[in-house]
Amino acid sequence: MQVSAFRIFFQTGAWLVIAFLVLPILVVLPISFTDTSYIGLPKEGLSLQHYANYFSDPDWLGATWTSVWVGLVVATCASALGTAFAIGCWFLSDRAAMVARWVLITPILVPPVVQSLGFYRFWVKLGLIDTHVGVILAHTLLALPYVSISVFAALTNLDRNLPRAARSLGASVMQTVWAVVVPAARPGIATGFIFAFIVSFDEIVGVLFITVRNVQTLPKMIWEGIQDNIDPTIAAVATLLIALTLLATAIGVLRRS
Amino acid sequence: MNTPILSIKNAVKRYGTVNALDGVNLDVAEGEFLTLLGPSGSGKTTLLSAIAGFIGLDEGTLALRSNDITGKPPEHRDFGMVFQGYALFPTMTVRENVGFPLKIRKRPAAEIKKRVDEALEMVQMGAFADRMPSQLSGGQQQRIALARAMSFDPQILLLDEPLSALDKKLRADLQWELKDLHQKLGVTFIYVTHDQDEALSMSDRIIILKDGAIQQEGGPNTLYDRPRNRFVADFLGKSNFIEATVTGGSGPTFHCESQGTPFDLITDEPCEQGQAISLALRPERLRLGLPGAELVPATVKQVSYLGERCQVLVVREGGEEFLVSRPTWKTDITPTPGLQVSIGWDADAPVVLAPS
Repeated sequence: MQVSAFRIFFQTGAWLVIAFLVLPILVVLPISFTDTSYIGLPKEGLSLQHYANYFSDPDWLGATWTSVWVGLVVATCASALGTAFAIGCWFLSDRAAMVARWVLITPILVPPVVQSLGFYRFWVKLGLIDTHVGVILAHTLLALPYVSISVFAALTNLDRNLPRAARSLGASVMQTVWAVVVPAARPGIATGFIFAFIVSFDEIVGVLFITVRNVQTLPKMIWEGIQDNIDPTIAAVATLLIALTLLATAIGVLRRS
Repeated sequence: MNTPILSIKNAVKRYGTVNALDGVNLDVAEGEFLTLLGPSGSGKTTLLSAIAGFIGLDEGTLALRSNDITGKPPEHRDFGMVFQGYALFPTMTVRENVGFPLKIRKRPAAEIKKRVDEALEMVQMGAFADRMPSQLSGGQQQRIALARAMSFDPQILLLDEPLSALDKKLRADLQWELKDLHQKLGVTFIYVTHDQDEALSMSDRIIILKDGAIQQEGGPNTLYDRPRNRFVADFLGKSNFIEATVTGGSGPTFHCESQGTPFDLITDEPCEQGQAISLALRPERLRLGLPGAELVPATVKQVSYLGERCQVLVVREGGEEFLVSRPTWKTDITPTPGLQVSIGWDADAPVVLAPS
């Protein structure tokens, strides 16, 4: 088969882009197996000591657990609010929905530092600094646009006569929403939930601004680990996160096919 | 007439400066197949939405069997509704769709199952109970929507252009089925369409709407044979229009004259000598003859073959065009463009229109 130059050009380009995206991430892999006590490539052999350290250190495990449960609470809150918002907009006219959508995505547009400063000033007044509630509130705000955007997308092609049909058949507005609109939005809600969890799990800037000692999340722990002591446990944690992500993606792909 | 099942009094709905409904009065008889017919923007869908309760009226009242329902929300009106786009719930199976109104009414599961089966049987879709709507064709989906709207024994069935999204052949089949279903169940149907053939073939009574007002109402043949004004004559079927002057005679036979051609007119309408009148003349009431055989000399301009009928467009001297519809089996004349012919009609064929 003749392979055109055109094809070779674009295939090479595609592989280069993939390498550009993936290689920096993969650097942490050898570092995590290093036998040294500082961040660097393995010297004399591979070692699992930093993994062992992660799994035996209550600080690391505690921070991980905090990030997980905060992320789940945030995802739940953001999904509920974002879905309610998107469905409400869908019931209104298209124009209102469009305006509201733009207003809601501003948290994505505003630079995180600016936003975090806002959180800081406001949370001080409310007495929410260095509390889990404070972090959950801030993260819910940041995650909201992701949920509402994905629910909007799920509702875009939904027949606008569906609520009318449901109501003519005897369903009240609330019954209509629960029985007809929410099930149709479910794929969007699920996507939004995952996004919201990731947003919270990953968030560092806001956490640095609004927490001190009391609240310790995984990203903050990694950040502080790099600043204070150059501990290769960070690389082990990073590798575990990458492995977990790959696993989740693989399961997702397999379930779809 | 017995107490009407639905009574609409002076319904007005305004959108900005436009009156979508401009004082509609309408009584619907129990068990009737009523069609709201009109072009887009005529207010027929607005009227149906108001009956269903999806939009409120700015003025006027709605009564169901003499009970006022003007402000009642749609879910308490107990009217089934079928939509142009089917509006089946995409996340529910066919069975769940049809059972939805019964489930909302908290009927026991056994009863729901029985009535869903009956409703699906009624539209010959029993074999499809466990499919998802997306796995069905348009015609099948519309049958399911019909079963769903009927499964809870609604007071009235509202149909909003239910066949418009289907292809022509299927549409014709479903027209028969709908009419059949209406006769079998005896439920009152209120049917909205812009398709005059649909309206003529199915309805007991047709309401013709324009600009939010009723133009004329009556049975299909009354409307077709005795259109009251130019709009109705033109919208329901095709019509030729003749402007004429009454020159003499006294009812029911009058002498008239149009562009120098005298002719007789038989009508019940009161006419006076010297009065200018507008006449509507159906294409199938026009006769085509050899030159001199009929009243008005004309030239064939265009011929359109439609299978069982043939439509001939002729031009009379002075440029006035007439559409003649004749059976294809008639072979006394073979109309071709440019052929010299003559056209004529019976004295009782033209209908006198109200001045507009």
